[in-house]
This record gives sequence, structure tokens and C-alpha cells, in this order.
Amino acid sequence: MLSLFFLILYIPAVMSSSSQTAAIYPQDPALTIGSTLTATCSVSPDLGLHASSLFWSLNGRRLPSSSYSVLSPTALSVTLPGLPASRQRSGDNLVCHNHGGHVLAGSCLYVGMPPVKPVNLTCWSRNTKDLTCRWAPGGQGETFIRTKYTLKYKFRWYGRERECEEHSAAQPYSCYIPGDLALFTPYEIWVEATNQLGSATSDVITLDILDVVTTDPPSGVCVSRVGDLEDHLTVRWESPPALKDFLFQAKYQIRYRLEDSSDWKVMDDVGNQTSCRLAGLRPGTVYFVQVRCNPVGIYGSRRAGIWSEWSHPTAASTPHSERVSSGSCDSKSGDSNSTLRRELKQFFGWVRKHAYGCSGMSIKLYDQWRVWMQKSHKTRNQVLQGDKS
Amino acid sequence: MSGHVKIMYPQVSISPTARTWLSLMLVVAIHPSDAGAACGNTPCGPSLQRSLKLTRLMHKESGDLLKTYKASQGDQSDLFCQKSSNIVPDPIISGLDPSERILSIYSHCKTFLPHLTRVTEQQTDLQPPSSPLLNQLLTAQNRISGLGNQINCLYQTLFPNLPIPPEPVDGPMSVPPPQNVFQQKIYGCVVLKRFKEFLANSARELKTIKDQMCSRRKTFGHANALF
Repeated sequence: MLSLFFLILYIPAVMSSSSQTAAIYPQDPALTIGSTLTATCSVSPDLGLHASSLFWSLNGRRLPSSSYSVLSPTALSVTLPGLPASRQRSGDNLVCHNHGGHVLAGSCLYVGMPPVKPVNLTCWSRNTKDLTCRWAPGGQGETFIRTKYTLKYKFRWYGRERECEEHSAAQPYSCYIPGDLALFTPYEIWVEATNQLGSATSDVITLDILDVVTTDPPSGVCVSRVGDLEDHLTVRWESPPALKDFLFQAKYQIRYRLEDSSDWKVMDDVGNQTSCRLAGLRPGTVYFVQVRCNPVGIYGSRRAGIWSEWSHPTAASTPHSERVSSGSCDSKSGDSNSTLRRELKQFFGWVRKHAYGCSGMSIKLYDQWRVWMQKSHKTRNQVLQGDKS
Repeated sequence: MSGHVKIMYPQVSISPTARTWLSLMLVVAIHPSDAGAACGNTPCGPSLQRSLKLTRLMHKESGDLLKTYKASQGDQSDLFCQKSSNIVPDPIISGLDPSERILSIYSHCKTFLPHLTRVTEQQTDLQPPSSPLLNQLLTAQNRISGLGNQINCLYQTLFPNLPIPPEPVDGPMSVPPPQNVFQQKIYGCVVLKRFKEFLANSARELKTIKDQMCSRRKTFGHANALF
């Protein structure tokens, strides 16, 4: 604010390049962090100003006169040791003022570092139609000044190199190649970083488009109850339509969580089905479910692709347990193991009795037991009510 | 249509192709100044109201734009706007009567656009691509073009017998020669500051015109109705 107090009225001839009253050298320099700059303000003799009456400011702060040096009656220099990184991309404002605070001339300093080779270059193709690549700057210093990143690619064994041209303003370290890509042909891809202080090139990655394919998340995800089973839900979905023309087998993953929890449980072994049953859920509870797809074996390849994004969350609730609604206490975390153990004991007893020691233990058998338990519970209740009457 | 032609030229039979060409030539022959009919026939109708609302919106946005601009240029950028310049259009609406003043608003719209374009180009080099300043500058460019068209329409509606000069009367449209970065920062600030002032002046002017001319027309309308 004090600096604003000094600096009033207008800037006489800074705008006019044809009749400049003052000039700073160097003009708009690029400098390395930690380096020293000596700048000179030269004023026109017509102004009738002596260099000793001038002063400097940097980003609005007046610089100490101990850093000044009067070179001539019309030239005053300033030395800035150990320059810090630029405060803004448009450059730090180094300004020469007359004794009244009027701005005579200015120079914008760009203080940063030469680029370090970009890292973590990864690419993916959506449905084999395009290619998006992303990387990270190799160093922080280059981010303080304008650094240009160019993604380049070529066929591995022949052809000229091409540049990716579609950059996203929202994602500065990525580029998008919309099409015209060959399949079954290795590409070499790399990133070149350039700024006023130097340049650097990333490592080259080699890939076949078919090795980095991802797809859209499954659509039509639907979660529903399984009859009255209080701890089951069924999830159904449709395979991504974009890949229906390809010879591939997709594999899927499901994840689900309680409504008020952030911990997801993931089911990996879903295979290429488009439905799955979740079991062992808490009765009377809302669950959020998501599904994602991996395009495996495109065009006969055995390689897995890249997992798609998760589908939008779909919610459903399990039926309320009759035992819970009849007033039994909620079991605490420490009791859940004994509850599970008791249920397992009941289940195995039922298997021995009704499944004749069936060796093919499966979730289907467990579901049958659950149904049997519910039916027998209802029957018991009816008998008890009959006794009371 | 064919029946109408036969009545007008009972001795001439015209082929369908010729009829089509005749229709096209009639359309092309319409004088461009009659485009005022496309702007609306009501002098105090929606055209004036739209122009006023757009000007007020732009004035509000120009305040935000100037604030964003200053924040993007670094500390001390408040000073940059104090420069006086004969390159940047001044914000004053000139003219003695409403027709001249509306024409002045229109001319200013034309002269400010290349300066806004130049500032956008310069800031595109100076700012990161994600800077909100760039979108705001593009919006200002689009809006000033639209406002110019609106004012043009308004002028033709209010003064259908007065032609619009081919060249703007208020100031040159030329932009400054190549500048160093510091000069660019100053230039941009002066342009946006004057742009904001121009919009404030235009809003005030349009309100005055609306009050004066449209009230007068209502009064005359009532008076005529008595006879």
C-alpha cells in the first residue's frame, strides 16, 4: 500500500516507443532462479532529471538505494542478487521511477529454471479411435515461466515425426490425438519441453494402440433385491456398445459400499458376465454400487486393456431383517464374528442334513439355506401366534 | 404466385426457371438500408431495451474483467491504468443530438474491438492457458460486436432517413506497434479502464434517450389520438 502512495498520476511516455523518455536494459529478460541481475534505467536528458533522483521498485516494493549505482547523470543501475522465482507468469515488474514516484520505464523479469525432462509419460486410447497422453514436468522451476511442451510421435521403424496439436487448457500436461492412428504398429512417443532458459526431452515410450485401450464404463447398471433375501442384491449391466464390433472378451469389476461409508469393497472375479449377485450384505441398508470394464483380447490379443472409469453410482437397499424389526439389538463390531460363526454352524448343519454332505459348496447352496431359514422362521412365528390365541 | 404473374403479364408466359431467377433478382435488389425493417419497426420497442440491458451487463462484466486483469499483471498494476494515451479510444460519447450520440456509441463499439483483440493476443502469450482472464477477454470481444450490431439496428429504427457513415467517426481503429511486455501491461490496463468507462457512459446515454424520445413519442401519440 505504501508503494501505491508513492506512485500517482500517469506514466508520461512509457507507451510510446517512438519518443521514449526512459528505457530499461535489459528489457524483459529470462533469468535463472538464484542468479544476479544488474539493470540500468536511462532517462532522456530532455526530462531534466538526474540519475541520483530516480528510484527502483520490484513488484511494487521500493528497492533499497544501497543496491543502486549512478552510472552517469542520466543512468541509474540496480543490482538484484539471488533472484527468487517469478511471482506471476506475466513476469515480475521492475520499474524505474522519478523522485515523485512517476513511472518512467519498466521491464518484466521472467525468473525460473530450464526444463528438466518430462516424466511419467503415459498414453491410452479410447476404443482404439484416438490417443491421449499425459505427463508431468520434470522439475518445479520450469513452472514459474512459460514452458512449452510438445508431444511428438512417429512409427517405430519408419515415417516422419508428427506433433500433437490438441492441448487442453484445463489439463496443461496432456495432449489429444483425435484419430488417424494405425493398429498393430508400434509407435514411438515422447515430449519435448522448451522455455527461454533451455530445453529437455522425455524418455521415448513405445506402444501399440491395441495395448493401451480403454473403453466407456458399462451402461444401464441396475441394482435390485433378490426376492426377500435380506443380505443379497443383484447387479446387472450392459457391455459398452463402442466395443461390440471388436472381437474381445471384456472383464468387469464391481465395487460397493455402505451409504455412509467411504470404504469400497471390490469384487474382482466377475469375469465377462453382465450380472452378479452380492451376498453377505447388511439387511435394511442402502448400498452404492459401481461397475467398470476392461477390454480384454481386442482383435485376438490376449493382453488386458486399461480399466474404464467407474460407472455412475447406483443405489439400492437390502430388505429389512424381520429379526431386527422384532426388536433384537444391533450387534456391535465385537459380536459380528460370533454371529457369523453361529450362522456358519447352522449352515453346515443344514448342509449335512439336507444336501447329504454335498461336496459342491457354492453360493447357490448358501442362498437355498437362507430361503429355508426365512421360511422356517415364518412357520415358527405362526405356530407361536397360534399358541397364544 | 403463378396466377399473380399471369394477371400482371397476360401476354407473357414465364417458365418456372425464369420465374425463380426473377424472384431471386427481386430479393437481391432490395437496398441494404432496408435491413432496418429486419431490426423492428418500433423505435421504442425491444431494440432499445435490449441495447440498454446488454450495455449494463457489459459494464458489470467489464468491472470484473479489469479486476482480473490487474490481478494477472502483478503488484503495482493499479498504476498502469493511469496512463494517458492517444492510441486508445476515449470513453466520451460525443454529439449534440440523439442521432449523433447513438452514432458515437456505435463508432466506439467499432473502435474498441481491435484494441480488445490486441489485448487478448498479448495476454494469451503472457498468461497460462487456464487463466480466467483469457475467457473474459474473449467474452468482451463477442459482446462488443453484438452491441455494435444492436446499436446499428437501433439507429436505423430511430432514424431511418439518416445514413450511417462508412467509417467510424470517433477515433482511429489502429492498434499500437509491437511493444515490450511492460508496455503491453500498461496498454491493456488503459484499454480496459476506458472500455469500462465507455460502457458506463453508453448505459447512461441510452437511458437518457429512452426517457427523452420514448416519452416524447408517447406524448405525441396521446395528443394525436385526441384528433
